[in-house]
Amino acid sequence: MRGPSNLARPTIFVVDDDAAVRDALKLLLRSVGHAVETFGSAQEFLDAYGEDRAGCLVLDIRMPGMSGLELQQKLNEKHSILPIIFITGHGDVPMAVEAMQAGAVDFIQKPFRDQDLIDRINQALEKDSSNRAALGERNDIRRRLETLTPREREVLDLVVHGKANKVIAGDLKLSQRTVEIHRARVMEKMQASSLAHLVRMVLEVGQA
Amino acid sequence: MTLLRVAELQEERAHRLEREFQAVLDAAVDAVVLFDHEGRIELLNHAGERMFGYNEQEVIGLKVNILLPEPYRSQHEDYLRHYIEAGEPRIIGIGRELIAKRRDGSEFSAELAVGRVQGTDPPRFVGFIRDITVRRNAEEALRRSEAQLTIAQEIANLGNYVVHFDGKYEDYWSPHLYRVLGRRYGEPYIAVYEYLEPMVHPADRARWQQARGELDASGRQMDIEYRVIHPDGSLRYVHHLAQTTRAADGRPLRQVGTLHDITDRRRAEDEARQMQDRIAHFGRISTMGEMAAGIAHEVNQPLTAIATYAQACQRLIAQADASKEEVETALNHIGTQALRAGEVIRRLRTFVKNREVRRELIEANRLLEDVLTLAQTDARHNGVRMLLEPAPQAPLVQADAVQIQQVVLNLVRNSIDAMVEVPEARREIVLRTLVDSEGDVEFMVADRGVGVDATTMAELFNPFFTTKPGGTGLGLSISRSIVRAHGGKLWCGANPGGGARFFFTLPAVPASAGS
Repeated sequence: MRGPSNLARPTIFVVDDDAAVRDALKLLLRSVGHAVETFGSAQEFLDAYGEDRAGCLVLDIRMPGMSGLELQQKLNEKHSILPIIFITGHGDVPMAVEAMQAGAVDFIQKPFRDQDLIDRINQALEKDSSNRAALGERNDIRRRLETLTPREREVLDLVVHGKANKVIAGDLKLSQRTVEIHRARVMEKMQASSLAHLVRMVLEVGQA
Repeated sequence: MTLLRVAELQEERAHRLEREFQAVLDAAVDAVVLFDHEGRIELLNHAGERMFGYNEQEVIGLKVNILLPEPYRSQHEDYLRHYIEAGEPRIIGIGRELIAKRRDGSEFSAELAVGRVQGTDPPRFVGFIRDITVRRNAEEALRRSEAQLTIAQEIANLGNYVVHFDGKYEDYWSPHLYRVLGRRYGEPYIAVYEYLEPMVHPADRARWQQARGELDASGRQMDIEYRVIHPDGSLRYVHHLAQTTRAADGRPLRQVGTLHDITDRRRAEDEARQMQDRIAHFGRISTMGEMAAGIAHEVNQPLTAIATYAQACQRLIAQADASKEEVETALNHIGTQALRAGEVIRRLRTFVKNREVRRELIEANRLLEDVLTLAQTDARHNGVRMLLEPAPQAPLVQADAVQIQQVVLNLVRNSIDAMVEVPEARREIVLRTLVDSEGDVEFMVADRGVGVDATTMAELFNPFFTTKPGGTGLGLSISRSIVRAHGGKLWCGANPGGGARFFFTLPAVPASAGS
């Protein structure tokens, strides 16, 4: 179940210092078919978690030692994209607000209805999955961009800026025919089905 | 025997009688005065001469009433005349007390007895006069001291009694004892214990009977405080002291006792204690208020676990391939967690409830352990470790457990607050008990926080002094009054190596008293 190949099977990581809460969450989430791993402290989780693992983090906000907020900060520093759902006690709203501002996807107050938690977890997993998919697509686009020659890159830039082949030929002091050939090569290498598709891909990776 | 011889003998006998009479007169302590039916003095003995300052020769033939001032002077003349005219019995008067008058005009208290000399006509009389100044003074002094005693008893609101066992003397109730026992002075006499017993408050009666039994049976003094209900229904507190005096053979002769009405003192003490208890209760509530977040968390954790287990069980049961063991385990956990939440609430209720203060024998170390469980959540939330160093002797103290826990908890709370700013690795509280050199039990709460500076130290125990935003400033002042009410003291000092240490003592109870 572990390892880089488990993108298909996300894991719910539960971090709570209370053994009973941890154990109950594990049982609940397994009963709805999730893979669950539990940790008694933020440090334990940090030591065990590999960045490439998909899923979401269910995190107690108040813990001795490293608090939930401190763990969130450490993950942010590592550019982690793992979505975090905070579980909070009563009267922890200011902390929850802080957590949301720091990028948490949601928070839920103890005790909670199981369906509420499960819904939030499902949303978080969807988000993680689309994040990871988007991340994968962007990486593909970047990889394709890297296959372009410098000249093709110049042509691409001008094409996505809306310039006609004639204008590009003038700018680059090339024949119109040569530009057409470069342009066809770019479309092919970028696997673009249309000009609009090509533009979208370039915008996606912020290269425009 | 010749007639002459008889006459001689008779004369000799008369002489002898006269000498003997003279000797009696001379030796008499009382003044003796002989006078005739007109009151003229015929004889005054030596004691009379000394008592009145006259020579016998000076007064012979004078009226006997010169020895009296007015109004006794005229009264005496009337007496005499009346007696002679009416021919009343031979004794005119016994032990009449009057004032007599000396030659120099000074007067003194005297007791006068007058008798008629038999067989004389007209009648002659003999008067005996006794100077009773000393007795009178003694009586006066006694009366005065009795009056003073009565006043003193009124002021002190204390009465005393004497019970005699041999029946030779009358039992005694001092005038104020009537008041102490709700009776009017002069009401008919009732034996004190028989009167007292039904008055004793039913709740105190067994104790009273035991003390009384011991007073009768052993040499032990009675020394108890109890409540009595007066005939008018009012409730009073009395302090009863009594002891038994015994003959050489151990037979009880008498019991002497005092009953002191201490109602006012007891009421004042009760009020002071109630006030203190109310303040202490307020202190506990405000401490709990400060700990509210931690407490809510502590109850919330088991509730969260319970809710989650229960919901998981429902889902598991709904599944075709549900594992029975898994469900059973979860149900077990639910039970355990429910008890855990109940325990938290029970502890809180015990701590916060406004209850009667009870001093009991408790192990000092147990007090610390209980506080540890109460404070643990709060400490954990603040990254504070708590260490227990219990005294190996496991000393006992006589204390109200909740109030002492309150003191310790208050000190722990302060310590936690003092360590918010220090690195987490340093955040440590040591709770310690030990038996000090005087045998008292010393409690210590030591932290590694910011410590207490000299200015703060001076004000630390003042009510409403606080260094915390939102603090009441009452915690330490309440804690100190609780410790004082337990007969101990509370103080603070620096912790070598940084931080503060708070100490308090409670008087030790001998281990044997615990059995």
